[in-house]
Amino acid sequence: MVKIQPFLRGPRFIAAAAALAVVAACGGGGGSGGGTDTSPFLDPNQYSTAAGAGLAAPNEKTAVTHHTLTLGGAAIAYTATAGHLSALDASQAPEASIFYVAYTADGAAPATRPVTFFFNGGPGAATIWLHLGSFGPKRLVTGVPATTQALPFPYVDNAESLIDTSDLVFVDPVGTGLSEAILPHTNQSFWGVDVDAALLRDFVQRWLAVNGRTASPLFLYGESYGTTRVPVLTRLLETAGRRVNGVVELSSILDYNSNCSVNGGTPTVNCAGFLPSYAAVGSWYHLATGATGDLDADLATVRSYADSTYAPDAAAWLATATLPPDSHIAALVAFTGLPAAIWDQHFDMNYDSFRHNLIANTTLGVYDGRVSAAVGSPLDTNDEPSNAFVAPGFAAAIKTVLPDELGYTNPTPYVMSSAAIDTWDFSHGGRALPDVVPDLSAALLLDPALKILFLGGEHDLITPFHQTELDVARLASGAPIALHFHPGGHMTYLDDGSRPLMKAELAAFYAAAKGAQ
Amino acid sequence: MRQALALALLLAAAAAHAGPRLDPGRPPSAALQAAQADNRTRPASVGATLDADTERLLRASFDAADPAHRGTLSRAEAQAGGFGWIASHFDAIDTRHAGRVSFDDVRRYLKLRDANAATK
Repeated sequence: MVKIQPFLRGPRFIAAAAALAVVAACGGGGGSGGGTDTSPFLDPNQYSTAAGAGLAAPNEKTAVTHHTLTLGGAAIAYTATAGHLSALDASQAPEASIFYVAYTADGAAPATRPVTFFFNGGPGAATIWLHLGSFGPKRLVTGVPATTQALPFPYVDNAESLIDTSDLVFVDPVGTGLSEAILPHTNQSFWGVDVDAALLRDFVQRWLAVNGRTASPLFLYGESYGTTRVPVLTRLLETAGRRVNGVVELSSILDYNSNCSVNGGTPTVNCAGFLPSYAAVGSWYHLATGATGDLDADLATVRSYADSTYAPDAAAWLATATLPPDSHIAALVAFTGLPAAIWDQHFDMNYDSFRHNLIANTTLGVYDGRVSAAVGSPLDTNDEPSNAFVAPGFAAAIKTVLPDELGYTNPTPYVMSSAAIDTWDFSHGGRALPDVVPDLSAALLLDPALKILFLGGEHDLITPFHQTELDVARLASGAPIALHFHPGGHMTYLDDGSRPLMKAELAAFYAAAKGAQ
Repeated sequence: MRQALALALLLAAAAAHAGPRLDPGRPPSAALQAAQADNRTRPASVGATLDADTERLLRASFDAADPAHRGTLSRAEAQAGGFGWIASHFDAIDTRHAGRVSFDDVRRYLKLRDANAATK
């Protein structure tokens, strides 16, 4: 962590401390409130996600609004709080001004009411996907995998919201959304696996303290790079003495060294963990001649083949460029529908070779292989149809949700995706690329009551579910871990069939984890 | 070396504008190359090697709380140095009632606790 030099901590530090005092007086909008007063906030600060940017005068004022959601016939009154809170280092010096939106049920008992912090990934991606699309009190309707839902996406009450189970805090890491480092730090100061997690540890602890929630059961929820971030954050919180009750990992990348997509298809990483996802996508397009119509049973077959036969075949191909017997190629064609000639050329099959060659002149989505676009069509812009379909709807919605629903107005554009990844320090645990299985192992060693839930989509081609199974299998058998995968893409909750299944699994997980000692 | 790094950053920045930013995105090429060298010599840890990786992380946190390299921490030093877990388990770890605990004391405590859990 970057320390502030004492000689730099003069007037600026005093100004920041004064700002903190103002906020403490306003209250951060905790769960014990329940008043009916609403206070919109026009935040005059200009925020930047540039690498060299840092904020001179953070403020911690928040916009507070009151709402009601009816879930299963019961009305849940909740307070939404949107604004910034500064993360402080060990000497209480401000590090970064973090933008968050918190949804807290009114009148709940802080000692038993869980609070969950949500993080998207990138790195450099704002937590807009989880906030507007997943388990918040309201959600955007996308109709994915269909691509027919017109803009603007409707923003509706969410029948699968987790607000009946936990308070929900959606957090934008530094250099995303409206979050920015506080001078003399710059955004770049927090662009690395370890510095990012340490900063978010400080943010989580400050949020809990300011809101009177230090006794509440604590849950962390990561998606995508967020599933790399959250295990490091969990270990750091447990090390600091703050118990984490549960960790939810959606669409996981636990080990960058084992995932053949982030290595760009460079033929050094075995892609066997991807084969079942290719089979799921081939089956979706009715191209997998070996499919029986029972997806779960078929994926079990392919998973087993991937481990027993394709993994050693791919290893041999990587080592000596030797192809297996024709019967093995024929099995892969039957599982996936991908032509034999493509397997012959790219035997260690990365997602790009798969999604550009399964159907002629057609590009399949990286995030959801069920979404497709004709080459050169509008959805094929940027070579990623599933993101091209949903991103404009999310980008438009945040512009109205923040001011109109949550009462928070700011002149700066909310940054969904910044350049943080270009200068991100990926090194971690003595490796050039992060492997966070040891972080989960360390967190479980410090806190044997910690529970972990892995979720994901069977049609996600960037963090394939079987690769997650292989990475998780490194942990000791008997570890308190559950895995559930459903039809859908990377943002599995966008699927209207899978979201209710995930909600039920989350509810069961919280019930088991929140009371565990 | 510094020039090479600057060039690599520049190239990475240029490449990033060619397509969409994915999540998880591809790390900068210098990190990928270093990782390929890593992976040739250090396969994914499991069993005893995962235990060693796990211990290395905890050891790093212990050392960070012990900037003077005394090799032991008091309860207050552990708390102030970011290892509050040691502070909150201090009496159970400090079986010799020395008022200071070493990393080996922490390891012994964890092993003992696991053994107790296994016989429950």
